Amino acid sequence: MGQAHVLVVEDSELVTSALRVLLESADHQVSIAGSIADALEIPRPGSPSLVLLDLTLPDGDGLLLVAPLRARGWNKFVALTGHDDPAVRQRCIAAGCVDVLLKPVPARELASKVAAWLG
Amino acid sequence: MSRVETITKPSAMTGSTPEARVAVLEAQLKEAIVEIAELRARDALKTQFLANISHDLRTPLTAVITHGEILRDGILGDLSPRQMESVRGIINGGRQLLNQVGEILTYARGAANQLTLVPTRFAMREMLDQVNALNAPLMKKKRLTIAVEAEPGLPQVMADREKIAHVLANLLGNAIEFTPSGGRVWIRASRALDEQVDSLLVEVGDTGVGIAAEHHDLIFREFAQVDATPSRPHHGTGLGLTIARKLVELHGGRIWVESQLGTGSRFYFMIPFEQPD
Repeated sequence: MGQAHVLVVEDSELVTSALRVLLESADHQVSIAGSIADALEIPRPGSPSLVLLDLTLPDGDGLLLVAPLRARGWNKFVALTGHDDPAVRQRCIAAGCVDVLLKPVPARELASKVAAWLG
Repeated sequence: MSRVETITKPSAMTGSTPEARVAVLEAQLKEAIVEIAELRARDALKTQFLANISHDLRTPLTAVITHGEILRDGILGDLSPRQMESVRGIINGGRQLLNQVGEILTYARGAANQLTLVPTRFAMREMLDQVNALNAPLMKKKRLTIAVEAEPGLPQVMADREKIAHVLANLLGNAIEFTPSGGRVWIRASRALDEQVDSLLVEVGDTGVGIAAEHHDLIFREFAQVDATPSRPHHGTGLGLTIARKLVELHGGRIWVESQLGTGSRFYFMIPFEQPD
């Protein structure tokens, strides 16, 4: 699969620390942003790239980030949500996400799916 | 003595004119109204606190679970069998706690009227199979048999899928919890008329311990378990049926139980197939 640049946009440091361990152990480069504003400050990625996006950020709906981040060169988006609900899922896919993960993020599933998303 | 109690004390009213007594009563009534409003406001504040705190508990818990899974899944290297057992304990404990916190959060949001419906159209049969699959390991462990039936040709229902799944999970969870090993559990979905409204009727039944008639109302009240002693054999938040009732009523439906001690229980809920716009 090779190394990828993964941006995690999530406001809980406890959650991002777990995701960082998981992603770095698979040799990915990890950037963390705690808000929409922070995410827009992250430098453009080297490709391939992936964004893990929490839906509820302190400064708004995480899905608002899809378009501006895409314009900055990020090309794959996966939503993180606490709601097991097809309506939420549909909204994420419609906004341009390739997949939706239910929190707590299942470690094995995330590790194995990253490759598929980047492919 | 509180202000509310003085209203019912006749001593305050003896030996005065009727007009004076009326004036005293009116003043006391005003005070009581103010006091009730204050108590309601304080109760609402506490409910809001409960909703906030349970929401805030979820995030660190999900982090604990993910860290546990990273270790369990060998992402940082292999564990010895005893380390694995310990890590599994952390994950299972975390998941159980997460469920209970979720129950408290739903209850608090319901009590504060902060639950809103997000209806989508779905097939009940699929949901029954999913809930059944989710509980299969637990049922196998208790050696319970289950029958899941949906009436052929049952129309799709327009409802909040997550909330109806929650109701089913709570009813099935109780059926499993209160049915001794070797017993039977069943779920049936059918079409029925409820006061001339085309409705979905779901029955969750079991051959378990049953519930005495005098407790049929009590069990739907918050924090109620028929045996409330600290050493009670069945645990949980005591909110499962309160939440189920709230979620069913949000859909304009109703929930009830038919049971006697020792004869098992049959819980029913009915919701209209369509939600008003």
